[in-house]
Amino acid sequence: MKKIALAVSAAFAACALGAAPALAQEKTITIAGFGAKTGPVRSFGVNSEAAMLAAADVINKSGGVKLADGSKAKIAIQFYDDRCTAEEGISVARRIYGTEALVAVGPTCSNVAEPLFGVLQKKVGDSSDSGLQMPIFTDVAVKVGLAKISEWAFRNVPNEMTMYSSLFYWLRTKHPELKTVYGGVEEDFAHSRASWHAIMKDRAQANNFQVVGESKWLLADTNFATQAREMKKANPDIVAIAAHPVSMCGALKEMARQGVKPKVLVGLTSSSSLETLKGCAKQAQGMIIPTSFAPVTKEGKFAAETTAKFKGAADLHSMAAWENVFILKDVMEAEKISGDKSKVAEDRRKVRDGLAKLRETKGLLGVTKRTEDREADKPYLFVTAKGNNWVVLHNPLQ
Amino acid sequence: MDFYYGLAQIIGIHTLLGLSAYIVLLTGQVTMAQAAFFAIGAYAAGMLTVLAGWHLVPALGVSAILGSITAAAVGFPALRVKGLMLVVATLAFGEGVRLFFFNFDYQVAKGEVKVGPLGGEGFRQIRFFPENGWTTGEVMLFIWIFAIAALALLWWFDRSRYGAVLRAVGEDELAAQSVGINLTAVKVSAFSVGGAIAGIGGGLYAHYTTHIEHANFNVLVATFAIAYPIVGGLSSVFGTVLAVIFVQGFLIEGLRFLGDWRNLLFGALIVLAMNVRPSGFFGKRRA
Amino acid sequence: MLDFIQATSDGVLFGATYALIGIGFTLVFGVMHKLNLAYGAASIGAAYAGLLILGAFWAEAPAWIVFLGAFLAGGLIGWLVYVTCFHFIPSASALATLMATVGMLLLIDEIVVHATDGLPLNYPALFSDVMLHLGDYYLRGDLLLVFTLSVLCMVGLLALLYRTRLGLATRAVAQQPIAAQLCGIRVARVNAMTFVITGLLGGLAGAMIGASVGALSPLLTTPLTIKGLIVTVIGGLGSIPGAIVAGLLVGGFESVFQQFRGVTERDLYVMLLLFVFLFFRPGGIFAAKGGRD
Repeated sequence: MKKIALAVSAAFAACALGAAPALAQEKTITIAGFGAKTGPVRSFGVNSEAAMLAAADVINKSGGVKLADGSKAKIAIQFYDDRCTAEEGISVARRIYGTEALVAVGPTCSNVAEPLFGVLQKKVGDSSDSGLQMPIFTDVAVKVGLAKISEWAFRNVPNEMTMYSSLFYWLRTKHPELKTVYGGVEEDFAHSRASWHAIMKDRAQANNFQVVGESKWLLADTNFATQAREMKKANPDIVAIAAHPVSMCGALKEMARQGVKPKVLVGLTSSSSLETLKGCAKQAQGMIIPTSFAPVTKEGKFAAETTAKFKGAADLHSMAAWENVFILKDVMEAEKISGDKSKVAEDRRKVRDGLAKLRETKGLLGVTKRTEDREADKPYLFVTAKGNNWVVLHNPLQ
Repeated sequence: MDFYYGLAQIIGIHTLLGLSAYIVLLTGQVTMAQAAFFAIGAYAAGMLTVLAGWHLVPALGVSAILGSITAAAVGFPALRVKGLMLVVATLAFGEGVRLFFFNFDYQVAKGEVKVGPLGGEGFRQIRFFPENGWTTGEVMLFIWIFAIAALALLWWFDRSRYGAVLRAVGEDELAAQSVGINLTAVKVSAFSVGGAIAGIGGGLYAHYTTHIEHANFNVLVATFAIAYPIVGGLSSVFGTVLAVIFVQGFLIEGLRFLGDWRNLLFGALIVLAMNVRPSGFFGKRRA
Repeated sequence: MLDFIQATSDGVLFGATYALIGIGFTLVFGVMHKLNLAYGAASIGAAYAGLLILGAFWAEAPAWIVFLGAFLAGGLIGWLVYVTCFHFIPSASALATLMATVGMLLLIDEIVVHATDGLPLNYPALFSDVMLHLGDYYLRGDLLLVFTLSVLCMVGLLALLYRTRLGLATRAVAQQPIAAQLCGIRVARVNAMTFVITGLLGGLAGAMIGASVGALSPLLTTPLTIKGLIVTVIGGLGSIPGAIVAGLLVGGFESVFQQFRGVTERDLYVMLLLFVFLFFRPGGIFAAKGGRD
């Protein structure tokens, strides 16, 4: 009796496996996404996935992607969780490589992007280099200068050097009476650390501000008394904080307690989010942050609403993922990909070449220029915390 | 196929990590320091191949030696600390090493670019494998040569007098001492062997990820190191391998289809496994 | 000099929270001779649970009710940890319970991240804007409250242990479980109660930490667990007064190290402090008198 039951269930299983391919009538192109869906940065992964699903939905509703043979294919999004660790990021990239996905959008974390790009083939066509040959189009990981690690790596992230340069220049012209800058930096997070030391400090000095000191803390720190005291002693006009919302709010609250009152507060790009306002709206009032997204244009508002339908929030990071899906659609059509499951390697190469050719792309704030080293030069604005919202303070590009 | 080779690579590296803890656990010492030796091996091998241009094999040799020396240095003071206090002491040591690397800067200019560890930013571009054209399959075989060597070594120990001596110390120190076993030699040697294995594992890990930073060697890694032999059972080295396959292959990769639920199940399944089989997969040694 | 004293006083006040966590670890160790590695996560988890459950019914609950919620949630979670990690696993399998508590730590952390998408939650605080000024020095009002509440808790715990029957039973089981059983004490029940009591304390610790930071975040768990373990060892495994003194000590030293050597080296020195103690006083400040392990 047992043997018969076993045989019957095995037969059913075989059927199920056999039945699957026959159903695939519609043509699909797969775009993979990956990011952090675990841990403190989980919201980034959730939002990116929602934005990608929303964008694909819009494209599919208007027909899909046009293939080389004139037919149309729907975009399928497959999102993977890399848990913000290099090991899993590389594992996920290898996994995606083994599927029919033509390109992967991600990762969230800069500490994943750097090793991941290191695993890709450095120069296209170099047969002595056994690195992975698959294009990666980054939406979030924003640490400076990563795309030049490999010719298969492309990023659609804001250029912090340009933005902070513009911001300090604007501050210099608008507030000539401000002289000194003090930095607060999260030392153990790749992005924030690089942003203060390599960018904010540098750009402030380039615009004739005097950097009178810097206070460091760690991402998980809870006691900012020493740092606030150091700030108070320096009595700076401007305090620039390169930290993510959790520790930034802790620092801001302590600064308020100890009576540190700079005339201007500058923040990190990633912190122009809901998280900051939920955590310390009162203490962050008036903070100025340069960002590459605010729902001020028609397209931007539409993107934000559609993403909300897929349960994601629209911020500069998730909206880059949205933009990426549309850019990829255009590239795929321009390069005439075959969409053939047996020609995945060629199609991937086409996508890479198409991305490399791009000189400008459509962004939600305007036209985005693409640079020689595969980075983006995105339009940006300065936003400030007012009440419970981030409102546009100044548009430096008008 | 590349994906499976990659997965096999991870399993191989983690097997080395697990085995390094296995031998120490046999002597009854619960060590949370294996991630530290792993880190030392990683940075050492990385620096030798990137900054000094060494081939990976001698670099791994240095990793093993450094790992073993550091472990011996830990093994001696560890003698003074009993039972669960050792857990905390080794945990603190592990964190200390991690913090050391957090502060460690050693950059050398290669052409117009500076390479080497840079404190909180980590050590990037450890590209020995891709630069020398190794395929994923070749790297996998390379890693498994070491994993199998470690397995063979520890399996051989288990069947020899040394293994019996290790387990005797683990079972009952007083009884072992009373038959003339030198506790110090046994415990410190176990730490040394474990340190060497962890060092090699770390060196391979650095070249697998191509970018290492202090956060890659945190408490969680130290916990995984002892989790493998505990979940696998201390009666056999193969228990550890099975546990690595279970965790990395099944829990982390195999359960991906569960999406978000995967991470919740991870912790829950470990709790369940410990309740159902407290002595691990392969259980306790019978006489 | 001003900096040194200020840093010390800041640190010592914060250290009260470490002391609470240390007490939890040390009590479980004293009674069951096992480490509950899930304790830090359970404490923060309790603060989350209290906040989220209360938030569902009562949007702007006053701070002290939220603290109470964390307190009670802590007791419940403590009991759950006992059942899943200690009750069924044979007491001889110390490694298995250790791993099981690690599993619970991961599980609790994940539940928290899933419930909140990893985003920090605002936690109410009392007197967070109050600063008491004494000349050039200042004391944070809310930290003073945390300190006071923690001290009251510790006093309450000591009273429980030395003045009640449950406390007597607990101490009996800690010293000689078999003899205690022979006297008719139900060991399993005492163990469960130990977990509930430490859970209550942990819930309060979680609430106090949330209050002093102003927010709850899953990032709080790991550093808290590590510091709690260090405090326990420095204070002496099994000694409650030891955990109290060690907690304040570690808090103070940590702050001073940061003042003089910066944030990246701070934790390194805390580790060194631990090693110094292990070398000179391996039993801890108040080494537990004789007996087992």
